[in-house]
Amino acid sequence: MSSLMPDPYAQVRVLIANRGELAVRIARVARALGMESVLAASAADRDSLAAQEADRVVVIGSAQARESYLNAPRIMHAAIGTHCTALHPGYGFLSEQPTLVDMCAQNGITFVGPTAEAMRRVGDKLSARALARSVSVPMTSGSEEIASTEHALEIASQIGYPVITKASAGGGGRGMVVAGSPAELSISFEKASAAAREAFGDGTLYLERFVERARHIEVQLVGDGEGRVVHFGERDCSLQRRYQKMIEEAPAAILPEPARAQLHQAAVSLLAGIRYRNAGTVEFLYDEPTQQFFFMEVNARLQVEHPVSELVTGVDLVRTQLLLATGRGALPAQAAVRMNGHAIEARIIAEDPNRDFLPSPGRVTRWRPPDGDGIRLDTAVTEGTLIPPYYDSMIAKLIVHGHTRSDAIDRLAGALARFEIEGVATNLRLLKFIVDHPDYRSNRVDTRWLERTLLPAFRAQ
Amino acid sequence: MSKISQNDIEALIELFDRSDWRELRVTGDGIDLFVSKDPNARRSIERTSEVSAGVASSPVPVGPTPVVQPAAPAATRTRPPHWVAIRAPCLGTFYNAPKPGAPPFVSIGQPVSRETEVCLVEVMKLFTTVRAGVIGTIRELLVADSELVEFDQPLFYVEPDA
Repeated sequence: MSSLMPDPYAQVRVLIANRGELAVRIARVARALGMESVLAASAADRDSLAAQEADRVVVIGSAQARESYLNAPRIMHAAIGTHCTALHPGYGFLSEQPTLVDMCAQNGITFVGPTAEAMRRVGDKLSARALARSVSVPMTSGSEEIASTEHALEIASQIGYPVITKASAGGGGRGMVVAGSPAELSISFEKASAAAREAFGDGTLYLERFVERARHIEVQLVGDGEGRVVHFGERDCSLQRRYQKMIEEAPAAILPEPARAQLHQAAVSLLAGIRYRNAGTVEFLYDEPTQQFFFMEVNARLQVEHPVSELVTGVDLVRTQLLLATGRGALPAQAAVRMNGHAIEARIIAEDPNRDFLPSPGRVTRWRPPDGDGIRLDTAVTEGTLIPPYYDSMIAKLIVHGHTRSDAIDRLAGALARFEIEGVATNLRLLKFIVDHPDYRSNRVDTRWLERTLLPAFRAQ
Repeated sequence: MSKISQNDIEALIELFDRSDWRELRVTGDGIDLFVSKDPNARRSIERTSEVSAGVASSPVPVGPTPVVQPAAPAATRTRPPHWVAIRAPCLGTFYNAPKPGAPPFVSIGQPVSRETEVCLVEVMKLFTTVRAGVIGTIRELLVADSELVEFDQPLFYVEPDA
């Protein structure tokens, strides 16, 4: 049962274990491929756009994510009970839980994603660092597990300040604290460990040298599970607030060609080493002055910002995922993946930037998205949609494509200006403010620029 | 609304034959068509008629042609508003008896208290006991044994004691 050879002639029925815009997308791609889809929805999403797009909806539990989208047994039971042959986990929720992959294997269902083993290898940050080290991928000087504040202080004195604490068990900013001195580290270490324990059930931390004014650059990859891994270029995701990305683009325009080639090569060799299967991303920090990059982590799933890579390569990554997983398509040759133009994604979130990003769920009373050449909107929202309070507040991804970065920014600025949303507070005004800012236009930003420079200026206007 | 003709039914059966569907059920005005490629599927239809018998014998006034009409839709149209649904606590497989072959937990006309066990819902081999949660009399069984049920799906209707 461990190695399922998919029958390319059997009818594929894919269970969508996710919600929102990505669930809509998976249902549409599945339909275009002649596959059937079943949405495993929470009670809050039984009438969602994803529910309308899927061939069938089963309501698996109440609105709370732990009763529905985070409940692996119910999702598996839904997949078996509706005779699904494949399961797409999307991003977030259970997408990086190896137990779900194991359950799929035990029940003869094709998991659209990496193997459980690969997930475990890269899911633990310390084991991922060991893997990166074994294939000589550069990384910041860092530590193994750290047990106590005293231990942390000792390690930090070897690495050199500033240092950043990171949780071994997960990302998303939980457990991450930057300390510029021993005094700061002694204050923050226990707190960071408690935050990691709260978020991931595991308070294990490690330390890394903190790269100031770094860029977040990541490489999109897809592997065939046999050792061949193809990259689909890189993305610059430096515009973040509290480690949550807000604007992402492809390619990373600041990268000089040699560094870009090295980055792609490092990412490919890392995942090829574990015969990675399906879509994944390797994240790096990039230090512009020295043109050095440092391994950060692997995300063993499709990412929110994958559309920018799709627009510059012309490859539909969700389609590629489904075709590869079900044995209906092969991975393209690296030489066949060509980059064209520049793409930018802006995440529209139902949060109020004027009230410290307070989530703003509610009924969307007016929804007039922009359209036109080079504009794509990935969303599950239409006029009248109720944004439930239970989940992530991202309501749409506005993605633009242009010949150059400057063309793409102009197109994004125009699209944002035409976008009309009423009923819920959003970050639209903030996004407009970002794309008009001279630092953004001239691409002089880093992962802290949004919080350090832009937000104070936005609040002051 | 136009009646479904013999031709329509033949066309439906032909479509079903060519498809990879397992079951087809068409209900509407004066028709209740059930076709299945599974020889065991007959049981669930028989169960449906048991349900209809139960409903028809209930003292509640029913629709204009209660005996000829297929049971479930008729019951839906005429269910008194004060009847209370017992709903599925989550998605899972519905079992009406504690083990295969055992008598069902409850049957039509049976009085229940809040604590009365009415069925099991199984999720990946984990069984949850569902209790009536209301004092009254079981009036409708809506789900056949071993059927997949969804969260919040009505499983039984109970006429509560006054």
